[in-house]
Amino acid sequence: MGTRIQRQSLFLILVAGFLLLVRVESIRFDLESSHTKCISEDIKTNAMTVGKYHIVNLNEGQPLPDSHKVTVRVRSAYGNNYHYSDHVSEGMFSFHAPEEGDYRACFFASDHKPSTTMTVDFEWKSGVIAKDWTNVAKKGSIELMEIELKKMFDTVQSIHDEMFYLREREGEMQLLNRSTNSKMGWLSFLSLVVCLSVAGLQLWHLKSFFEKKKLI
Amino acid sequence: MESRRRLRGARVVYTLLVLLFLGMVNLVSALSVTVNDLECVYEYVLYEGDTVSGNFVVVDHDIFWGSDHPGIDFTVTSPAGNVVNSLKGTSGDKFEFKAPSSGMYKFCFHNPHSTPESVSFYIHVGHIPTEHDLAKDEHLDPINVKIAELRESLESVTAEQKYLKAREARHRHTNESTRKRVIFYTVGEYIMLALASSLQVVYIRRLFGKTVAYNRV
Repeated sequence: MGTRIQRQSLFLILVAGFLLLVRVESIRFDLESSHTKCISEDIKTNAMTVGKYHIVNLNEGQPLPDSHKVTVRVRSAYGNNYHYSDHVSEGMFSFHAPEEGDYRACFFASDHKPSTTMTVDFEWKSGVIAKDWTNVAKKGSIELMEIELKKMFDTVQSIHDEMFYLREREGEMQLLNRSTNSKMGWLSFLSLVVCLSVAGLQLWHLKSFFEKKKLI
Repeated sequence: MESRRRLRGARVVYTLLVLLFLGMVNLVSALSVTVNDLECVYEYVLYEGDTVSGNFVVVDHDIFWGSDHPGIDFTVTSPAGNVVNSLKGTSGDKFEFKAPSSGMYKFCFHNPHSTPESVSFYIHVGHIPTEHDLAKDEHLDPINVKIAELRESLESVTAEQKYLKAREARHRHTNESTRKRVIFYTVGEYIMLALASSLQVVYIRRLFGKTVAYNRV
């Protein structure tokens, strides 16, 4: 009885381990030769971000052809470079975002004479989901259920922060709209002033012109 | 005693693995892509019957002269090849469907017009262990189902927030472009008015300048 349970658990470990390897937590897209595809993500200040990319091998068992290499560049919204890899078939990057904004990860496929298409598998996590939970689990012998609840607590915190951010943005937009409204009012009034002054100038100029010509 | 300890050990292993499973099936991507003609994104769905939910918003950066972009088409293709979900000519929407089979699903954005648009999308695949899974594995606690349901609700709140954020960004672009356009058109109007009136004056001067000299009374 004991040995059968042990064998069953071993089998389950193997199955789960295999599924762990096969599990894909990422998106895939196709990239043609000498084409660039960029993916951008909005990252907050001081958020941890982790990105992993690799070219998918469509022929199982055979090594990737040499032409399947990609150049990757990760830039911030202000143009600072955070990661650059030239002609690699896989890689990863991770950094703490010092500035808030849209970060772009651009994939450039090198030129190849018959135009080939390669599939790039890319995973980009930032913020609360980038946190490495296996380390937290190892540090203390905490039960897994507790880890789940801790994860959910972190998620709720991030939802709360996001609500603050949305509220702030809405406040900014309201200010912008109000200023546009007042500017439109001033500009319409100014257009009336411009129209009247132009008409007055015309009248005055023509009157003096005709008086000079002794027609009036 | 020995066999009971081994049983307890096995139970710990089972719950560990099952909870690892539950913790892992959160597939999430919140990204933005520029769509020139057709852009496809693939995402893997592990279990049949999983709820795939998400949203996408067209955030156009360069609407200055023209009107709002008429919209893009969105299609979801299952691994078997048939179209599961399809939206035409929208500038952003939410979607949700139950995956009829497991495998690689294709989410495609098609831009019928020539101007490139950037789309910010979010796709989430959520799995809640069902009664069937509960029956199969006696070590799977019903509390795991509740925890999964809770996590799925939190994910739906996060998805809604991402949708609102993307829509807010789009709205902001529209407002900023409206403001620029208002100022530009008004100043242009002043200049055109001054130009037209000066042309009128020049014309009248020329009219009366020459002919009066000929028909002097």
